[in-house]
Amino acid sequence: MNRFVKLVNFELSRFMKVYLTLAALTIIVQVAGVIVKANEYMAKANEAINEDRIPMAQFVEQNGAMSFMDFTRSLWFMGPIAICAAALIFYIFMIWYRDWLGKNTFIYRLLMLPTARLNVYLAKAASIVLMVLGLVSVQLIILPLENSVFKWMVPVDFRSDMTVGQIINWDYLSMIIPQTFTEFILYYGAGFMAVSILFTAILFERSFKWKGIIAGIGYIAISVIIFALPVLSMIFLNREYLYPLEILGLEVALGIVVTAMSIGVGNYLLKKKVTV
Amino acid sequence: MIEVNDITKKFGRKKVLKGVSFTAEQGEITCIIGINGVGKTTILNAIMNLTPLNEGQILINGETIHKHSYEKITFIPDAIIMQPNMTIAESMQFMADFYDSWNQERATELLDFFKLQEDEKINDLSKGNRAKVNLLLGLALDVDYLLMDEPFSGIDIFSREQIAEVFTSHLVEDRGVIITTHEIGDIEHLIDKVVLLDDGKVLKQFNSEEVREEEGKSVVDVMREVYQP
Repeated sequence: MNRFVKLVNFELSRFMKVYLTLAALTIIVQVAGVIVKANEYMAKANEAINEDRIPMAQFVEQNGAMSFMDFTRSLWFMGPIAICAAALIFYIFMIWYRDWLGKNTFIYRLLMLPTARLNVYLAKAASIVLMVLGLVSVQLIILPLENSVFKWMVPVDFRSDMTVGQIINWDYLSMIIPQTFTEFILYYGAGFMAVSILFTAILFERSFKWKGIIAGIGYIAISVIIFALPVLSMIFLNREYLYPLEILGLEVALGIVVTAMSIGVGNYLLKKKVTV
Repeated sequence: MIEVNDITKKFGRKKVLKGVSFTAEQGEITCIIGINGVGKTTILNAIMNLTPLNEGQILINGETIHKHSYEKITFIPDAIIMQPNMTIAESMQFMADFYDSWNQERATELLDFFKLQEDEKINDLSKGNRAKVNLLLGLALDVDYLLMDEPFSGIDIFSREQIAEVFTSHLVEDRGVIITTHEIGDIEHLIDKVVLLDDGKVLKQFNSEEVREEEGKSVVDVMREVYQP
């Protein structure tokens, strides 16, 4: 096993407890959410039918059949996703700072490994990407399970059925779980670019301290401007002279340029400027 | 040979190192002595490319440091550089995974020598035992040079004796050692070369045996002359 793979494995294992907790939280809260939401609906239906003597068909007509979307739009579903997203964004910073701050001086060991320092950078970035993909996979795996629980708890007359494919197609879920390989490359490529920009900004701070904070913020601003150049130029020139496909092509090219620039600058800082 | 050539290091506006030069040979123990804050640790960090220099150059066997150099030179800082939640065995495995120069036989020998338990977590160790684990992880590498930053700092007398014993054993033999300290009592008789540092400058460097034989002075005597004229 080469040192890069070992580093990725090591980085993943360092976050594994928190990561498994996040996955467990997602599973438990979402499954509980299906049960709670289904119970709420059925309690309301039972009350209307048994106590208010409203016919079942009339209840469904008045309140609408319960769909899986009623659950996915609730905090029970979105809450764990938001927590996982926030934790991983926080971890983009933590994955570097925990090696420097407090009693921990592990950065000494990482920088003294007999491997290119770029591998440390790339291993941390790869760990973040793998963690995101892992949590998305967990979500994909539990969706059919949640759909089954939903169908099991809500009788067929009260519900509007959806396939997992239809659920995934729904607005923000289609961002997390892309429909096509091209979408996957675009969304996750953009995510990787964002991670690399932040990593390089962090390394600016670790290299130049207070001045590095300004340099890091400046670096983020420059990267965003370069990436958004096609869109910004059209806004400022007030003229739409590019077709959407051309804009997409330019964005992909600029995304690759910004990512490569971030990795290159990050590598330079790690090799020549960073200080323990 | 490690050649430190006229190095200067600034932290902000403060010049911590002002044109420091010295050499350290393989098979010798070179001791950098100075009070806290004179730049001893910065020199070791600079040798390992853990902090960039403003001026000057450091060569290891005639080359600037690169990734393969870390198989030939290692640094043992004053704080342990391993994950606190790892056991000693896991720490040793980490080193074995990443370093071709890891010598498992020597690691086991050091484990016995320091009377450490493999399954103990680093977090649960005393300061003295952490220093020993730090030393173990460095000494078990088949490297040509060892850099040690204040190995006796803040640890009990028995641990100090045990660590000092390492210097006379085959565990250090034939390697070049650069050690920084302000407490030379434990190792004075082992030092080959001394670099006296003050205010970021080398005040004096000398061969301890030559001074002992030619001038009849100990390292401490020379230190008194230099620091308390």
